[in-house]
Amino acid sequence: MDVKKKLFKIFGPIILAAVLLTLLLISPFNLRKINDKTVEVAALSQSKNIFKGTVVKQKALEENYVPFFGSSELSRMDAFHPATLASHYDRSYRPFLLGGPGSTSLSQFFGMQGINQQLKNKKTVMIISPQWFVPKGTDPGAFGLYYSNLEAVTWLRQAKNDQMGRFAAKRLLQMPSVQNDPILKQAIQKVAAGQALSSSMKTYLDLKYNQLQHEDELFSTLALKDNTQKITKVAKVLPDKYDFEQLDAIAYKLGQENTTNNPFEISNKFFDKNLRKKYKKLKGKQSKYSYVRSPEFADFQLVLNQFAKNNTDVIFVIPPVNKHWSDYTGLSQEMLQDFNQKITYQLRKQGFNNIVDLSKDDGERYFMQDTIHLGWRGWLKMDQAVAPFLTKAQPKPKYQIDNYFYSKSWQQLDGKDLDQVTR
Amino acid sequence: MLNMQPYQDPTYFVLLAIGLLPIMVGLLYGRRFRVYETIISFLFLLLTFGGVKWEQGIALIGYIIFELLLIYGYLAYRKRKNASWLFNLTVVLSILPLVIVKVAPVMNNGRESIIGFLGISYLTFKAVGMIMEIRDGIIKEVGLSEVVHFLLFFPTISSGPIDRYRRFLGDYKKIPARDKYLALLDKAMWYIFLGFVYKFLLAYLFGVVMLPKISALALAHGGWSWWVIAYMYTYSMDLFFDFAGYSLFAVGISYIMGIQTPMNFNKPFIAKNIKDFWNRWHMTLSFWFRDYIYMRLVFFMMKKKLLKSRIAIANVGYLTLFLIMGFWHGVTWYYIVYGLYHAVAINLCDMWLRFKKRHKEKIPHNKFTEALAIFITFNVVCFSFLIFSGFLNTLFFA
Repeated sequence: MDVKKKLFKIFGPIILAAVLLTLLLISPFNLRKINDKTVEVAALSQSKNIFKGTVVKQKALEENYVPFFGSSELSRMDAFHPATLASHYDRSYRPFLLGGPGSTSLSQFFGMQGINQQLKNKKTVMIISPQWFVPKGTDPGAFGLYYSNLEAVTWLRQAKNDQMGRFAAKRLLQMPSVQNDPILKQAIQKVAAGQALSSSMKTYLDLKYNQLQHEDELFSTLALKDNTQKITKVAKVLPDKYDFEQLDAIAYKLGQENTTNNPFEISNKFFDKNLRKKYKKLKGKQSKYSYVRSPEFADFQLVLNQFAKNNTDVIFVIPPVNKHWSDYTGLSQEMLQDFNQKITYQLRKQGFNNIVDLSKDDGERYFMQDTIHLGWRGWLKMDQAVAPFLTKAQPKPKYQIDNYFYSKSWQQLDGKDLDQVTR
Repeated sequence: MLNMQPYQDPTYFVLLAIGLLPIMVGLLYGRRFRVYETIISFLFLLLTFGGVKWEQGIALIGYIIFELLLIYGYLAYRKRKNASWLFNLTVVLSILPLVIVKVAPVMNNGRESIIGFLGISYLTFKAVGMIMEIRDGIIKEVGLSEVVHFLLFFPTISSGPIDRYRRFLGDYKKIPARDKYLALLDKAMWYIFLGFVYKFLLAYLFGVVMLPKISALALAHGGWSWWVIAYMYTYSMDLFFDFAGYSLFAVGISYIMGIQTPMNFNKPFIAKNIKDFWNRWHMTLSFWFRDYIYMRLVFFMMKKKLLKSRIAIANVGYLTLFLIMGFWHGVTWYYIVYGLYHAVAINLCDMWLRFKKRHKEKIPHNKFTEALAIFITFNVVCFSFLIFSGFLNTLFFA
C-alpha cells in the first residue's frame, strides 16, 4: 500500500466525520420539528435543558402557552397549581413553567433572550421569591445550572450598548459559567466595556448560534420529566364548574388533610423529607435574615427592562412566607414588609402595575404548601387574579425604565432612606 | 491572553492538529524540524502556563533552572568523585521544591505554595531519575537542548506518563522509518479517539452526571450506607476513565511527534492480584517507584545486611514505597492510609503467593478461581480508591 492510501485509511474517516458534523451543526436548516406532545410535556417538565434552550420555548409561545417565570414553587403541582386549573377548566392559555430551585432574576433574564420575539406585546406571569434577594445575590453555582452558552450567544447577537447591555455583561462576567469559551468571553468583555463587536466576532457568534441551536434541537428534549399525568390525576378532586367558594372549600380540606404531622401547617411530605431531622435546630435561626439589601434588585431590573423592551404585559405575584414558620424561625416581619415596599416601588415607579401582593395572606390557613411555597388556597387566590388577567383584554402597559434601579445605592437602600425614597 | 489546560476542550485539540501537522509531514518525509518543534512546544506551554496562570509559568522556569543546576552540578562532580552523601544531598535538593509544594497547604490552611505549578510532580520524577542514573554512570553526558526538551516535553507535562531520559533521547534523535511512523500514526489516532470515549463520555458519565448525585445521597443519609458503596464504584470508574483517557491523549500526541512515550494503563481491572494490578495501573509511576525506590532500597538493605530475611526486606521495601507514594499524593490522612492499605495488601499478596507455591498440588487453579481472583482484586482496589477519594473524610469528619 502506498503512503497516500495508508494516510487516507488513518485520517480519512476522522476528516470526513469532522466535516460532516461541522456542516450539519453550522448549517442554517432546521434539523428537527418539535411536535405538540413534546411541547405539552416540556411545559410542565421544569427541565433545565428546556429553560436553557430556545427551540421548544419558541414553539410553545407561538401557540397558546404563557410563560410562568418563577422558581421552586412551580413544582408544587397540586389541584390548584396554575397548570392544573388551566387544563381542567380548558382555559384559552396553558402555563409554560420556566424556572426551578435557584432560578433567580439573572437566570430568568438570560433565559428570556431566546424568546424576546415571542414575548413582544404578549402577556406573561412572574412569581417573585423574596428569598432571591439575599445579601450576596444570586449564587454562582445555581446560576450555572440555568446558564447555557446558547443564552449568552443569543443575547450577544442583540445586545445594545446601553445601561442594560453593559450591566448584563458585567454580571455575566462575574459568573464562572462563561469561562469555557474564550471568544465568547471576549465578546462579553467588549459589551461590558461599551465597545462594538468586531465583524469576525459577529461571524463567530452567528456560526456558534447555529451550532448551539442545533444541539438544542437535537438534545434538549431528551429525558424530559413527564408531569402531564400528574396534573390530570390531581385535578380529579376539582368540580366541573369553576366556583370559587366550592374550590376554596376543597382547597381548605386538602390542606387540612395533608398537614397533620407538624404544627406549622407544612405538608407532611415536605416536613418528613426536609425538616423533621433539623427543624429543632432552626428555631429562631432566621432572625438576622434580610431580603432588603441585595444585588438581586439590579438583576431584577434587567428582567423588568427586558419586559419593557418587549412591551410584555406582566402580572407579578409576591408570595408570603408561612406565618407559623416565620414566627418559629424568627424571620422578621418588618424586614419582609420592607422588602415588599422596595420591590413594589421598583415595579410601580416604572409602570408595572399588575401586582398580586399575597404577602398579607401569610396567616391564611392552608395558603402555603410548606415554608415559602404557595399551595392549595394560595394557588387559588393567585388564580383569582391571574386567570382574568390572561383571559380578558387589558389596557396597554406604559413603562418608563429608570436606570437608577441598576445602581449600587438602590441595591443597598434600606431603613429610613428606603422610606424616604419610596414615599 | 488565552489560557488552556491540556486536553480539556475541543479547541485545544484543534490547535494541536494545526500545530502538529507540519511535524507530521516532516516525519513522513524523514525530517525532524527541530526549530519548529521547539517553537510549537513553547507555544503550547505558554498556552497552559501563560495568561491568567502566568505565576505558574514563572514558577516553572525557576524550577527548571534549579533542577538543571543540580543535574549539571552533579554530573560535573560525578565525573571526578562518587561520594554517597553528595548524591543523597542532590536527590534531597531536587525533591525539595515538590516537598514544599506538598507540605505548604497543610501549614497554610490550604493555601497553595507560590513555587507550585501544574505537573511539578512529574517533572520531579524525571529529574530525580536522571540524577540517579548519573550516579549509576548510565547517563554520562547531558545536552542542554536535549534535557530541556525532555523535561518540558509538552504532551506529557501536566500528568505524565513519566518517560526516562535515555529512552526519550533515543526516539528524539532518530527519525522513524516511514512504515513505522505510519503505524505510529495509526495507533496515535486510535489512542486519541479511545481517549475521547474514556474522558469525554465515560468519565463524564461517571464523574459529572452520576457522582454528584450519589455523593449528595450518601451525605444526606450520613454514615455508612449503600450509597457509599455506589460512590466507591462510581468514583473508581471515574478515576480510571479520566486518567486513562488523559494518558491516551498524551501517548497519542507523543506518537505523532515520533516519541514513543510509554503506556500508563493496561486493563488494570482484570488484574489477578495487587501485584498484577500495579503492573497495569499508572504503570510509569509504579515502575518509577519500583526502579528508583524499591529496588534501590532492597539492594541497600541487603548490602548493609540491615535485615536477614529476604521476606522482611521485601515487606519493608513495599511499606516504604507505598508510604512515599501516599505522601506524594498529598499530606492528608486518607492519602497516607491509602498508601498503607496498598502496602499491607501487596505484602499479604506476597504471602499468599508463597503459600500457594508451597502447596501447589492442594490449591485448585481454573477459570473460576481466576475469576474470583479478579473479583477480589477489583473490590480491594475500589475500596482503596474510596479511601483515596477523601469522601470518607467528608462523610465522617468534615
